[in-house]
Amino acid sequence: MKHFWFCLLMFFSISAFALTEEITLSHANVNIHDTASIKRGAKYFATICIACHTLIYMRYDPIAIEAGITYEKMPINITKWPNNVKPPDLSLETEVHSPDWVYTYLHSFYVDKSTATGFNNLIFPDTAMPDMLASFQGTQTLAGDIIQSEGSYGHTLEWYDVVELQQQGSKTPDEFDQMTLDIVNFLNYAAEPFAVKQEQLGWWVLGYLLILLVLVVLMKRAYWKGERA
Amino acid sequence: MKLPLVLTKRGWKVLDLNWLYARYPVREFMQRHMTGYYAPRNFNFWYFFGSLSLLALLNQIITGIWLTMEYTPTGTEAFASIQHIMRDVRYGWLLRFMHTTGASLFFVVVYLHMYRGLIYGSYRAPRELLWLIGMAIYLTLLLEAFTGYVLPWGQMSFWGASVITSFASAIPWVGKYLVIWLRGDFNVSGVTLHRFFALHVALVPLILLGFVFLHLVALHYVGSNNPTGIDTKHDKPTAETIPFHPYYTVKDLIGVVVFLLVFSTIIFFAPKMGGFFLENNNFIPANPMQTPEHIAPVWYMTPFYAILRAVPNKFLGLITMASAIGLMFILPWLDRSKVRSIRYKGYLSKIAITIFVICFTGLGYLGIQSVSPLRTTLAEIFSVGYFAFFLLMPFYTRYEKTTEPPEFFT
Amino acid sequence: MEEVDLKRRCFLRRATTAAGGIGIAATAVPFVEYWLPSVDTEAAAAPISVDLSPLQPKQQLTVSWRGQPVWIIRRTQEMLDDLPKLNNQLSDPNSLEDQQPTYAKNIYRAIQPEFFVAVGVCTHLGCIPTYRPDVGGISPDWLGGFYCPCHGSRYDLSGRVYKNVPAPLNLKIPRYMYTSAHEITIGADKEGMEGA
Repeated sequence: MKHFWFCLLMFFSISAFALTEEITLSHANVNIHDTASIKRGAKYFATICIACHTLIYMRYDPIAIEAGITYEKMPINITKWPNNVKPPDLSLETEVHSPDWVYTYLHSFYVDKSTATGFNNLIFPDTAMPDMLASFQGTQTLAGDIIQSEGSYGHTLEWYDVVELQQQGSKTPDEFDQMTLDIVNFLNYAAEPFAVKQEQLGWWVLGYLLILLVLVVLMKRAYWKGERA
Repeated sequence: MKLPLVLTKRGWKVLDLNWLYARYPVREFMQRHMTGYYAPRNFNFWYFFGSLSLLALLNQIITGIWLTMEYTPTGTEAFASIQHIMRDVRYGWLLRFMHTTGASLFFVVVYLHMYRGLIYGSYRAPRELLWLIGMAIYLTLLLEAFTGYVLPWGQMSFWGASVITSFASAIPWVGKYLVIWLRGDFNVSGVTLHRFFALHVALVPLILLGFVFLHLVALHYVGSNNPTGIDTKHDKPTAETIPFHPYYTVKDLIGVVVFLLVFSTIIFFAPKMGGFFLENNNFIPANPMQTPEHIAPVWYMTPFYAILRAVPNKFLGLITMASAIGLMFILPWLDRSKVRSIRYKGYLSKIAITIFVICFTGLGYLGIQSVSPLRTTLAEIFSVGYFAFFLLMPFYTRYEKTTEPPEFFT
Repeated sequence: MEEVDLKRRCFLRRATTAAGGIGIAATAVPFVEYWLPSVDTEAAAAPISVDLSPLQPKQQLTVSWRGQPVWIIRRTQEMLDDLPKLNNQLSDPNSLEDQQPTYAKNIYRAIQPEFFVAVGVCTHLGCIPTYRPDVGGISPDWLGGFYCPCHGSRYDLSGRVYKNVPAPLNLKIPRYMYTSAHEITIGADKEGMEGA
């Protein structure tokens, strides 16, 4: 009976894959301390994404500049875009949508002849963005027979249940996961470059306040000793 | 010419405090309002929130002033100037988070402070004026928070401003003109932003400080209430009271440190609070051409927003929402109980206040969610509960059986 | 009622005050650092590069650096030869006051005598002096230099201040260096960027 409902859900999922609630976002293991990953992600941005996306608030950021992401290279003054859709600035993308969203989005492109770009995306239907990572991930199509795809039974619907790889690109699925994680780590850094400092300072402040708490409690007791509350 | 220099046994001493004391009533003030202000000795957990409100206010003012040093209040530059503060200004991110977290915690503390007033009857005579001034502070604070939230000029800033200023258009006859006058433009724009900046940074804080001063004066004139609701004398020592300083200054320090612990945990580890303190959509620059899927005010305004949405008529919804706040003002005259504190009131009052809390938090939750038929029905039910708490109060407080408060409470 | 332990109260009060004081001092740090130049301000204050080749003899070029005018003047040999003659009319002919980097602590107050680089701000109250290379212009014995119209201070062609004028110091020479035969960078030299 459970299987029946699950299949029914799958069926409706295919016909209504435009509903992003249907797909559970995959979790990206973002690590603000993994500077190597962040720097790799910066490099990917500098070579792939910067063609269309600006990062205007990263103008003075050392990691961005080191990777070659400079203000001059960003498409700031371009006014004509295909379909009149301007690619958004990505400085705060992981704040607007979560890192998991971006991670899943980058995995979820599939071939769709009906769109202008020839591609579509499970997480952002009818996106004007082409599949920039096709040469790495490869090309995907909507899975013909979801019910029988491996691993789809027993967990909530994720992107890999809905699409299948037609032709692998230059990276294996694991390598592609790492690549997108690097990009997400970088974008997360771009949204909050102060994150590491913030966390470090936090521990010091909490430690100090705990000590202070002990002192003020002892002081209060010393003053109130004998007083009936 | 008398100088603040004095020769003591150990030699010349600069800053002779007696010079100051002869010219300014420092010692009299300390005696009247600190060491000689006698407060009931049974203050409990609920009594921390007044001083914490003052601390929150101080935080907002100082961090706010620092933010204005680097913020630009124009439509074109505002959003970018916040990013400039977060990224380019040293510790800018810290000051910004202190300000946004401080705003939310200010409301947490104020709501808990108001709740204390509610349960212990701190609004009853002779403290009606104290309560009214407190309500004035609350309204001013809501205005301050609203104008402040517009300043980052994100999508929620813009659309929140649009929705709330459009309430003015519901007023019959003058509404259309009033809303343009309020906005300074035919639609919310950089003009609106700029004047909200002036309100938020200068005018409203001054009004707030004025009311806070009046609030403290009114309190000290009549003396503090306490959890039993029994009267005590505040100008001379008795068995039931203790001097505010050093006893409550020292005790309030604990409240301060605990508050700072909560404050710091949020600032350094979760300043967005899952989108409640800093909403995701506000990280998108304001776009007058596109409304976000879901507009909700910040959490502290959501109970009233939920009441507004529960009423299907624009003007009536506004009136209902305004009455929801208005009823709080007349609370001192609705409560006809023989006793002040909930401790000695009958079970009807206890049930009523429980229902009130459930309804208020329920409405708060619903105000954040998007609209659905079920949620609207729930909001209608909770609104009825909310209004019933006030409107039925003259009856259930008068006719219920109360218990006799004890003679002394030490 | 138990006896009040005054010593304990006093000790805890002092300990808490000390701890609290540390906390307040630490909290003040971000507020103070916030006032330091932000990253974009520092970028705008970065050293600038100037090409000297278009400069004609006696010509003054003014560039903006950190919101101030910086002059570059191509001096002639005559102008340079006149400099020692003025020593006894000047307040600080040997540039003893700290108004220049070490390489400008000479009579020419420059790395290469031909090009004079100085911040064009009067050391009195901050007006911009006028460039007066015209001999006999300000007074009969004027050999060329700078004249400040605000309060009448005078400097020679090495920016050295005359005696008996309101300005107390020689014109400031910024850090600068030659990056090629005809190009200089103003605001930094081999040892680093110009500080506060």
